[in-house]
Amino acid sequence: MRMKKLALWSLAAIATPAFAAEAPAPKFDSGTISGLGARNIGSATMSGRIAAVAGRNVDGKSLLYVGAASGGVWKSTDGGTTFKPVFDKQPVQSIGAVAIDPANPQVVWVGTGEAWTRNSVSIGNGIYKTTDGGDTWTNVGLPDSERISRIVVDAKDSNTVYACVPGRLWSDSTARGLYVTRDGGKSWTQALKGPNASTGCADVSADPSDPSHLFVSLWDFRRKGWTFRSGGEGPEAASGSGLFETRDSARTFTAIEPNKDNGLPAKPWGRIGITIAPSDPKRVYAVIEGVRSALFRSDDGGRTWTEGDRSQSMVWRPFYFARLIVDPKNADKIFKPNLPLIVSLDGGKSFSGSGGGAHGDWHDMWIDPDNTNHVVGGDDGGLWHSYDGGNRWWKGDNLPVSQFYHVSVDDKDPYQVYGGLQDNGSWAGDSAFPGGITNARWDNLYFGDGFWVWPDPTDANFVYAESQGGFLGRVDRRTRLTRFIQPTAGFKEKLRYNWNTPIEMSPNEKGTIYIGAQFLFRSRDQGQNWDRISPDLTTNDPLKQKQEESGGITVDNSAAEMHTTIYSISESPKDGNVIWVGTDDGNVQLTRDGGKSWTNVVGNVKGLPKNSWVSTIEASRHDGATAYATFDRHTFGDFDPYVYRTRDFGKTWQKIGGKEHGLRGYAHVVKEDSVDRDLLFVGTEMGLWISTDGGGHWAEFKGGNFPSVAVRDIAIQDRDSDLVLGTHGRGIWVVDDISPLRSIDDAMLEKEAAFVASRPVQQRISSFGGTVEGDARFVGDNPSNAAVITYYQRTRHLFGDLKIEVLDPNGKVIETLPASKRRGLNRITWSMREKPPVVPPAAQLANFGTIGPRVMPGTYKVRMTKNKQVYEAPLEVSIDRRSGITQASRQAQYDAAMRVHGMFGAMTGLMARINAVREQANQLAAKAPEGDPLRKQVGAFAEKVDAIRKEIVATKEGGAITGEERLREKLDNVYGAIVFYEGAPGPYQLATVDALQKEMDGVSAEFDSLVATDLPKVNAALKAKGAPEIQVPPAQPVAESPVSSADINAAFAAWAHGSFGLDLDRGTDVRERD
Amino acid sequence: MHRRICLSALLFAASGAASAMTADELIAKNLEAKGGIDKIKAIDSMHATGKMSFTGDFSVDLTLDQVVTRKGKVRQEASLQGMTSVQAYDGKEGWQIQPFGGRKDPEKLSADDIKGLSDDADIDGPLVDWQAKGSKVEYLGTEDVDGTEAHKLKVVEKDGDVKYYYFDPDYFLEIRVVTQRKVRGTEQEFESDLGNYEQVAGVYMPFSIESGPKGGPKGQKVTIESVKVNEAVDDAKFAFPATPAAK
Repeated sequence: MRMKKLALWSLAAIATPAFAAEAPAPKFDSGTISGLGARNIGSATMSGRIAAVAGRNVDGKSLLYVGAASGGVWKSTDGGTTFKPVFDKQPVQSIGAVAIDPANPQVVWVGTGEAWTRNSVSIGNGIYKTTDGGDTWTNVGLPDSERISRIVVDAKDSNTVYACVPGRLWSDSTARGLYVTRDGGKSWTQALKGPNASTGCADVSADPSDPSHLFVSLWDFRRKGWTFRSGGEGPEAASGSGLFETRDSARTFTAIEPNKDNGLPAKPWGRIGITIAPSDPKRVYAVIEGVRSALFRSDDGGRTWTEGDRSQSMVWRPFYFARLIVDPKNADKIFKPNLPLIVSLDGGKSFSGSGGGAHGDWHDMWIDPDNTNHVVGGDDGGLWHSYDGGNRWWKGDNLPVSQFYHVSVDDKDPYQVYGGLQDNGSWAGDSAFPGGITNARWDNLYFGDGFWVWPDPTDANFVYAESQGGFLGRVDRRTRLTRFIQPTAGFKEKLRYNWNTPIEMSPNEKGTIYIGAQFLFRSRDQGQNWDRISPDLTTNDPLKQKQEESGGITVDNSAAEMHTTIYSISESPKDGNVIWVGTDDGNVQLTRDGGKSWTNVVGNVKGLPKNSWVSTIEASRHDGATAYATFDRHTFGDFDPYVYRTRDFGKTWQKIGGKEHGLRGYAHVVKEDSVDRDLLFVGTEMGLWISTDGGGHWAEFKGGNFPSVAVRDIAIQDRDSDLVLGTHGRGIWVVDDISPLRSIDDAMLEKEAAFVASRPVQQRISSFGGTVEGDARFVGDNPSNAAVITYYQRTRHLFGDLKIEVLDPNGKVIETLPASKRRGLNRITWSMREKPPVVPPAAQLANFGTIGPRVMPGTYKVRMTKNKQVYEAPLEVSIDRRSGITQASRQAQYDAAMRVHGMFGAMTGLMARINAVREQANQLAAKAPEGDPLRKQVGAFAEKVDAIRKEIVATKEGGAITGEERLREKLDNVYGAIVFYEGAPGPYQLATVDALQKEMDGVSAEFDSLVATDLPKVNAALKAKGAPEIQVPPAQPVAESPVSSADINAAFAAWAHGSFGLDLDRGTDVRERD
Repeated sequence: MHRRICLSALLFAASGAASAMTADELIAKNLEAKGGIDKIKAIDSMHATGKMSFTGDFSVDLTLDQVVTRKGKVRQEASLQGMTSVQAYDGKEGWQIQPFGGRKDPEKLSADDIKGLSDDADIDGPLVDWQAKGSKVEYLGTEDVDGTEAHKLKVVEKDGDVKYYYFDPDYFLEIRVVTQRKVRGTEQEFESDLGNYEQVAGVYMPFSIESGPKGGPKGQKVTIESVKVNEAVDDAKFAFPATPAAK
């Protein structure tokens, strides 16, 4: 961005400290754009994969640290009733291990990078330490570890910590194995490494009686885009996996090899989980993956072993389940997380499912050592709490760590969002709901792992959803009748559908949908018939089609490794015959004739390595020849982003996003704004980046404390200009109204301050919803129902006045708003309400009277005063498009509301006069001696006045529910009824207003009559005694413009102490004249 | 993008790199930026008035009136519909009147509930004489505060409150304060953003304070309209009222 020289702090009127700095050059960065904010709408009903759990009882409460697979670290100090994310400012969100220092619960270690190495697993960047309970984190090393499976803190020496590093999943690396620090994390030593560059550490367990004694397992593993191995390339192939023991704090190790005497199974081995029973250091359990996988138990500290359980749930999927947790008090009770959580009560001889209604696919758990029936565990569905030793479960409803693969939106108002999640099916949820977006506002539509979900553009009652491997269905949301419509294979044919199979809706023809295997299929009748409109568009490389051999020692062919498939489809919104297809094996295919002929244009993408996974291909919404692509090379161990654009149907490509542009993390998605072709969004494994100049400059979006979580998909709700983010680890986030980004250019960035155009403002219906859910449930935030005012400041506002006023269509200031101060875009809200009515003081608040009527729709003006500079912009306000309320009806409501508003003001004026007279009378009566007839006369007059007061306001104090209704309270009720519905009030309501006006007139006349008849006599008597006469304040004109209670109070205070009022405080001693 | 060199960066270079900053230096810079310790200590009482707005779909403004004295006493009033709520602390005990539900009797406040009031009663703020107040301070480097790379200072106070101060990197005035406080054993955490600094009696004071739960929307916005210093203040107004408030 070109920047010209900038003036010094130019506001001479404002004194600044002597060492004041020059205003820095404007810049386009995270600070510029993040003021737009963002809100997380969850959900926590389908929470997400939990990779690690650590607990400790502190002050009689359970302290929990929960590591989400790709959603950060969550801390609870109340046993899980509430959680807060404590890792959100760190640059990675994938967690492999969490350990609390046994000596100090304020010291916590976090190993980043999940070690449950499924196909969708994320990456970390080392080990972190906090010494203040999670407020401050420091990355203390192991930057190349990629993932960490376990951390053990020496129970006797907090400076000695072991980190078990499986290391890189997708590529060779020697930075793996068991690491130890002996200086609290300042330096690390690789204490144990494997025999090759694919073997790292899988597990470590310390002897509870001797922390220098540890067992360690090494694991040989590798994942590629099309295959996975745990152990060697096959069941019998050489593997670097092994089991080791150290008795000197990892200075030397002994390999534990199988032999005919020790009972261990023959090598090669795969993944091994190992643990020593906390209550018996001689009892060691190991689950060993091998040709004969099983649980092994040692009763002599690892010298000899006995084979125990080898049920399916013991040996299944070792890459995903390899942890053993022994009851802290009972060495014979052992849990093994697996698809079900299985448990043994007989020292591992037999296991059975622990039962209960948890989600399944367990990974880690904590057993409360003070009450071993209290168990907290994590699985693919989130966090679970048991109070009966793991048999029955409470679901944690407060961790919004859901892992979306994709997101889409509809046109309802408010719109709904749709998406599918890792192992948690497909869902639709509300983008807004009165009372907040609770877990209950999410609706499950489909099963399995979920990916693409689309509302049917031809019928809002239907959605398309899929489970893994492209198992596509069309669901009637009313009845849940589901028709399965995945295109099926022909003669001797195998269709290759990706784990995350693309489904695309035609932007040109409603009802036309696409799905990709190796061929592209198109249906024009909602899946009744499918046309195969392409040849095999992939490389069809047979070496990448051996999924039946995938798994290494334990075969594992779940469709997760299916490769040489179509992964992304995009029909040009400008021309339905132009269809782009990207494949997982690196082809970018283009047809310009509706599928008759195809050209692979990936060779034109200069600088891109071959076979790069096309994570997104996206046709421009503005130009038929333009398309965008993201390439994801993380399956080759390359975590850099690659974002390209072509403007000539793929003949040439420009790299518009990469690490050289400041983007971090492999790229999943690129999205072009619906209005501004230069406004681009890129989601990577590490967050969201935004460019406002067509990819020239990028800034990371951190609004609303948006963490560095994987943004797997992005949708734009065109009508509302909302950006909807599908994150893999933190659910759905909405950036409300991104239209201010469309105005950002160099000229704007150089301005000291400016209002920024936003979407038109509606007076959204204010309504009620939801219920009290306690503290233990997540509730997503709603968008503001107020007018959102967006402005830009080049620098943070620190000195002097900054305020924003709202002017009505007549140019009158009707509101002054505090303005936020941050650099870049700022947002504040205006309630679009008149000032509340001025209400007479009474026993209690007039509740409805605390708010003002909504202003009439129209053209308002916002005016920012920043020091001495003034900025103005129009603000169009319209009626909620859903309400059906006409302008005339709205006017009738406003008029009625303002009439009552004025009646409150008049009532306040009358009350002020009554109170003034009453207080003077009371004081004068009190000053007259007991028994003096004057005292009685003045007192009686005061009582008459007070009787009138009591007709106007409720006066019973003490805080009870008095139900006392006087004029003020009656008026408040009818005011509430009128104000809260913005159409014309009913005639009966207006009749009540008339009746109350009549009553008020009556009371007013009563007071006037009292003043006319009784007061002269009282004053005559006072005068006769030389006492001051009672003064009646003049009637206050009912202000045309609403004034605040404070203004009225101030006015009467001024009167009371003013020229013709009495100084009530000083008073007059009547007795002296007696 | 940064062709011009920031003057403050040069100042930093002269006085050592930012990373070499200590807590003491940071506090010294902050107090100097405010106007200097002498001017701060010359203020014996402060009387601030303004408004407290709760903004959003509905907005409510309360008028605000706060008096604080060097004797460690504070009284805060907020008024709506002619009713005034009071919270006060006389250096020993705290009390309140919450009239909006119909009850105007003063009520005593618990020890945990007066922690905020007793903080407000410290006319100098916690950074002045922090050693004598029994606090511990620690400089934690810089951290992004809404686009400003701010200096972060941790203050652990004698009563257990932990405060994180964020200072503007050029002017060293605080732009954000995060307070962690245990109330009945449960941690409460809230965040205030400070701005619109104006000089009063030679001391820069924030005229805008926006507060809310940490990381959440700052729905409570205080706008100070005037601050008067060294007015005569009767200590009686801080003491628990002997008789219930008049109607």
